[in-house]
Amino acid sequence: MSPQIRMLNDIAVQFQHQAPEAAAAAIAAHIRAFWDPRMRAELMRRVESEPQMLDPLALAAARLLTNAQEGS
Amino acid sequence: MSLLKEPDLGTPAKPGPATVSIEVDGLPVTVPEGTSVMRAAALCGIDVPKLCATDSLEAFGSCRLCLVEIDGRRGTPASCTTPVAEGMRVSTQTPKLEKLRQGVMELYISDHPLDCLTCSANGDCELQDMSGAVGLRQVRYGYEGANHRDEKTDSSNPYFDFEASKCIACSRCVRACGEVQGTFALTIEGRGFGSKVSAGGTDFMSSECVSCGACVQACPTATLQEKSVIQLGMPSRSVITTCAYCGVGCSFKAELRGAELVRMVPYKDGGANEGHSCVKGRFAFGYATHPDRVLTPMIRERITDEWRPVDWDTAISFTAARLRDIQSRHGVGAIGGITSSRTTNEEVYVVQKMIRAAFGNNNVDTCARVCHSPTGYGLKQTFGTSAGTQDFRSVAKSDVIMVIGANPTDGHPVFASRMKRRLREGAKLIVIDPRRIDLVRSPHIEAQHHLQLAPGTNVAVVNALAHVVLTEGLVDRSFVDERCEDFDDWAAFIARPENSPEAVEELTGVPAEEVRAAARLFATGGNGAIYYGLGVTEHSQGSTMVMGMANLAMATGNIGREGVGVNPLRGQNNVQGSCDMGSFPHELPGYRHVSDDVVRGVFENMWGSTLQAEPGLRIPNMFDAAIEGSFRALYVQGEDIAQSDPNIKHVHAALTALELVVVQDLFLNETAKFAHVFLPGTSFLEKDGTFTNAERRINRVRPVMPPRTGKHEWQIVAEIAQAMGYPMHYDDPGQIMDEIAALTPTFAGVSFAKLDKLGSVQWPCNEQAPEGTPIMHMDGFVRGKGRFVQTPFVPTRERSTRKYPLILTTGRILSQYNVGAQTRRTANVAWHPEDVLEIHPHDAEVRGINDGDEVVLTSRVGATSLRAVLADRMPVGVVYTTFHHPVTGANVVTTENSDWATNCPEYKVTAVQVGLKTALQSAMAAE
Amino acid sequence: MTTTVYVPRDSAALSLGADEVAADLERKAAELGRPIRIVRNGSHGMLWLEPLVEVVTERGRVGYGPVEPHLVDDLVAAGLLDGADHELCQGVVAELPWLRDQTRLCFARVGVIDPLSPDDYVAHGGLTGLRRALAKPPAEVVAEVIESGLRGRGGAGFPAGIKWQTVAGTPDALKFVCCNADEGDSGTFADRMLMEGDPFTLIEGMTIAAHAVGATEGYVYIRSEYPDAVRTMRQAIAVAREQGWLGQDVLGSGLRFDLFVRVGAGAYICGEETAMLESLEGKRGMVRAKPPIPAITGLFGKPTVVNNVLTLASVPAILAGGAAAYQALGVDRSRGTQVFQLAGNIARGGIFETAFGMTLQELIHTYGGGTRTGRPVRAVQVGGPLGAYLPADGLNLPMEYEAFAAAGAMLGHGGVVVFDDTVDMAAMARFAMEFCAEESCGKCTPCRVGSVRGVEVIDKIVAGQDPDDNLALLGDLCELMTEGSLCAMGGLTPMPVRSALLHFADDFSPRSPNGGGPR
Repeated sequence: MSPQIRMLNDIAVQFQHQAPEAAAAAIAAHIRAFWDPRMRAELMRRVESEPQMLDPLALAAARLLTNAQEGS
Repeated sequence: MSLLKEPDLGTPAKPGPATVSIEVDGLPVTVPEGTSVMRAAALCGIDVPKLCATDSLEAFGSCRLCLVEIDGRRGTPASCTTPVAEGMRVSTQTPKLEKLRQGVMELYISDHPLDCLTCSANGDCELQDMSGAVGLRQVRYGYEGANHRDEKTDSSNPYFDFEASKCIACSRCVRACGEVQGTFALTIEGRGFGSKVSAGGTDFMSSECVSCGACVQACPTATLQEKSVIQLGMPSRSVITTCAYCGVGCSFKAELRGAELVRMVPYKDGGANEGHSCVKGRFAFGYATHPDRVLTPMIRERITDEWRPVDWDTAISFTAARLRDIQSRHGVGAIGGITSSRTTNEEVYVVQKMIRAAFGNNNVDTCARVCHSPTGYGLKQTFGTSAGTQDFRSVAKSDVIMVIGANPTDGHPVFASRMKRRLREGAKLIVIDPRRIDLVRSPHIEAQHHLQLAPGTNVAVVNALAHVVLTEGLVDRSFVDERCEDFDDWAAFIARPENSPEAVEELTGVPAEEVRAAARLFATGGNGAIYYGLGVTEHSQGSTMVMGMANLAMATGNIGREGVGVNPLRGQNNVQGSCDMGSFPHELPGYRHVSDDVVRGVFENMWGSTLQAEPGLRIPNMFDAAIEGSFRALYVQGEDIAQSDPNIKHVHAALTALELVVVQDLFLNETAKFAHVFLPGTSFLEKDGTFTNAERRINRVRPVMPPRTGKHEWQIVAEIAQAMGYPMHYDDPGQIMDEIAALTPTFAGVSFAKLDKLGSVQWPCNEQAPEGTPIMHMDGFVRGKGRFVQTPFVPTRERSTRKYPLILTTGRILSQYNVGAQTRRTANVAWHPEDVLEIHPHDAEVRGINDGDEVVLTSRVGATSLRAVLADRMPVGVVYTTFHHPVTGANVVTTENSDWATNCPEYKVTAVQVGLKTALQSAMAAE
Repeated sequence: MTTTVYVPRDSAALSLGADEVAADLERKAAELGRPIRIVRNGSHGMLWLEPLVEVVTERGRVGYGPVEPHLVDDLVAAGLLDGADHELCQGVVAELPWLRDQTRLCFARVGVIDPLSPDDYVAHGGLTGLRRALAKPPAEVVAEVIESGLRGRGGAGFPAGIKWQTVAGTPDALKFVCCNADEGDSGTFADRMLMEGDPFTLIEGMTIAAHAVGATEGYVYIRSEYPDAVRTMRQAIAVAREQGWLGQDVLGSGLRFDLFVRVGAGAYICGEETAMLESLEGKRGMVRAKPPIPAITGLFGKPTVVNNVLTLASVPAILAGGAAAYQALGVDRSRGTQVFQLAGNIARGGIFETAFGMTLQELIHTYGGGTRTGRPVRAVQVGGPLGAYLPADGLNLPMEYEAFAAAGAMLGHGGVVVFDDTVDMAAMARFAMEFCAEESCGKCTPCRVGSVRGVEVIDKIVAGQDPDDNLALLGDLCELMTEGSLCAMGGLTPMPVRSALLHFADDFSPRSPNGGGPR
């Protein structure tokens, strides 16, 4: 498993107790604050190629990252 | 500086305002109630003769030299044990007293070797001084009477001798062992004239002695003497500096004879240690002059080549050229560096500055990544600052002490002694640890509750504690209402039945009633303080646990005053400092995010360089990126990642993949095997700068000798930056600190001049707190309100299985330090020659393992072999080892699992199997 | 009709075969078909008569003694069980002048009752003091003890009530009452005899103290050399708990107090109160510096009453009879009675409780009957091994604290040891130093090293080696030990030495080479 997928899943599981939207936003914020851009880029590639490897909440968060990146 | 003899006022200071006025030999003095007459006299400049009294120990009253006369009182009371009383008039010198004192000295000398001129303590002997002070001129008893002059010397300890023939039975060593160190290894054996200091009936080395040196320091004669003093002679000058071992950051007097370091003596004015020490700081400094030290830069093209010693210029230009070359081929972000928690703040600062400003990226990380990064994250989220809340002194005001995942008597021994002192005074103790660490039951100390949880279930336990506090109505409502936010959401979460002690009992292995009792004690027992270590952080939920403890502290109102708080026990001498100095890839110095345009602007302005607004790679990310190919060069300052980091196989693969590895260190460590450039570093004895300890205390590190390598580490870094085309120059490290102060609000008031004046300061040190901040969050949290964060328990992915049925947890021991690079090069190996595997007798028996057998330890990522030690302090199903010796390679078996928020590795939970080496070998042979 | 026979269980009697005597009496009576009931009482304190067998008759308790075991058959045959005359018959014991002339308050019941019978105890006036005390507020009990003039019987003679007042006035949730029963002085045995002969009195005294000062726990620290006393005290405490005299609600008064026995380990110094506290805490028996005083910082750092057995055992009588009655006994600042113990070379050794003021002369000659050897008395040591030696012509000294102090002596724990004219006083002085060297805890220098040098210097003096210089040195050493020692052990060791030097200077002149004495 790619480290990015593993780490994102690890993060996502910590936010399961929150409402899905808020959780996805918090996860995305965490990734933006702590991940090197190339890790985020690699994650995005993985999201496209193997989304099934991601926990749904992780996937939702990853989608937010994509949107934000597209938006910026 | 000449040899610094600190004044000894005879008895300890008493707290409180000075309100009692007395007259000593006609001189008036006003002192706090309870002060001894001896101390009052000393405070007005009158030294009453004494031998058994010293101000680090409670008065004992045994030598009878300090007798005085007091108007209106009968007899000649001992000034050390007599407290002052208002209006007292004391005479310290009268013909009667002179005669009595001479009589006492006459008795002492009648049973003492007359070898002053050849004695190792000649010139530093209180017995000698007192003979002079009382004017002893004859010993009428002669020397033929009963005596102890034939007593044998105990040389068993590698660092000091016990020359019993010189003992005057003052009990200072015995009292120091008990009162100061809290080990109670020493006693007086026999009685009367036959009274002898004894290490529990055996020699020092075989005894409970932990070699902290308190007895040696307390001894007024040559009886307990450093071997180095015996061999080299009395030192002649002192330099006050800071120990470079653990995060306690003890102040020492380095005592030299010419250029040679003779001994390290703990400094009484040291804020962190107040005159105490441990075996490492006190004695284990020999590595600094060990022949293994590399003193010349070395380079090589390939790691299979031999090293080639070169001059500094060659090494620096080679390094700079290779770094720039790699960047030109693979991009600005293809290189990065790791700062060292063992170097000074100034040295760390210039490395991260080189990376951010000269490398032009944020690929900087530090070894805190693998130890306390969750502390930084967790305390910032909840309290607003990435540091412990208290000073060490605070523990003296604690009523309930909760120790979680820390083993202070081994890892932070000098602080442990302070904690034990408070525990002996009656504070209650709660230990949360899978192992029955020494604190659980040691002389005069017994934990009220030992929550012996299964490794990896910290969060479940802390949530259960909070659940009890909440559901039993023990929350400090006024504190919470006034000082905190997000409480209600948290309360709703923590009150859920799945967080109850009963619900998690099976998982954690801790009886629910025990959790309830501990929670009640913590919430209602007065000042509650939490101290924790890597047993909290080095888990896949490390950050969650830190926030869980912060929640518990806030809910019980245990923040913002003396005696309370949430306190990380930091591993390395400057791990706090290295974090403060901007060693994390997402934060500039002072914990400010790189994406903050205003802050970044300030730095860009000062540094004259454009800085990246995106976070860089963390250490594990660097390894991943190295294997993946986007990361090509690594500059490693003073950290042996090839031994200390988890899943060594993976680390080695990453290091092998790199085009350039630059190692700056004292020794050719494991990482250097993968390096192309070796830049020799300086030991703490050569450094000039500051260390910041676990209580945010900035201590001066002063050079005892010039750099043996010819260059300070900050100079090397600045020159590499220069060679890379980025102008960086400092005349001295004081200038670096000035720059740090100018850029970092919490350091705004710090300067070498102030440190030299005050001894040390605790950050924040600025206009609001010009002399520093011993205790944080007094009037409000740094982030405004303390924030309750919900902390669901998410078990680690690492589970015991049929193939790997045991859980391995790792730690360290007193005599060794971290990867052992320093301590293995000292006589400390006498205590810990190898890493061993502690295993419960039951787990051993079912595997046919006997005490001392060679066993193989296997996890899903690797295997290593070591000797088994049967220990019932281990719970069944859990094994334990240390990682001090590279030959063992404990990290061969640890995995890639890490804290979700910070990637701090999960060293504390690895599923393993253990088997007899011979059985395993034959099984392999059969296959 | 069943005949009641008393055979002491006191260890002095036991050492002379009292158990065998009792067994033989039982057997012999059975042979004769005479129903008897043997009561094992304490000793009356007439040690020259032990084992003293008493038979209850119409006249009263008729005594026979000393009854050696082999004499039992003959005595019974001669009518002992009927109180018949015999050369060993002492008549009615209570009427013996030795007993009749005493004023027994502490020892009122010792020898009289079965020590472990609560009924006996109450029937003979036990618990009267405690009941009276419990009816008063604690402060009034303290006041009564102060008023009685009771001073510590352990040796120092500090007013007991004042000590109690300090403990009472030191607020703490936990306070202790500790009884010092580490009776180690030579020639003393009163503590032991009381504990073996009337342990409830001590329990009652300690309970009164607990009420007075607000203590909830008590300890009796008994030397290991007293196994019988240890056993008896432990049994008595168990009985007292059963009776509700100790425990959560003493005599229904609401007072909570419990008591425990702790046994020493053979160190004389543990009779020093602070060393005893250390020992009680499980530590090495080593003297503490004072201040702090135990009354404020005592056992485990808590306010603690530390009193001797006889001090505490005097309290029930004071409370029962009132302070005024007690205070009416004695002289000057020595009020009430003291339990003197006659020992050494004396014809009639034992316990003599009397009001302060009787002269030493009268005690030794009238009641003690002079020396056992029949030779003239040469020296008397009062107050244990650290007490002064008094010469034969100095015995006309009233037995009270101040008179003794004025004579350079001390009353101590009331032990009187008699020596005849064969005693070598230089050897006795040397012994004082030797004893100190043997028993010093080793904490303070004057005692630890000084006592050893003291022995050596006396040896040099006696050997004729620079006698003048060494006598001067011995004088300086005595001054140093007196002034400079941490506790009374080293501080008082010079007292016997100096008194020997003062009164028996000739004994210190050089000896002849054949080792003969000075005379």
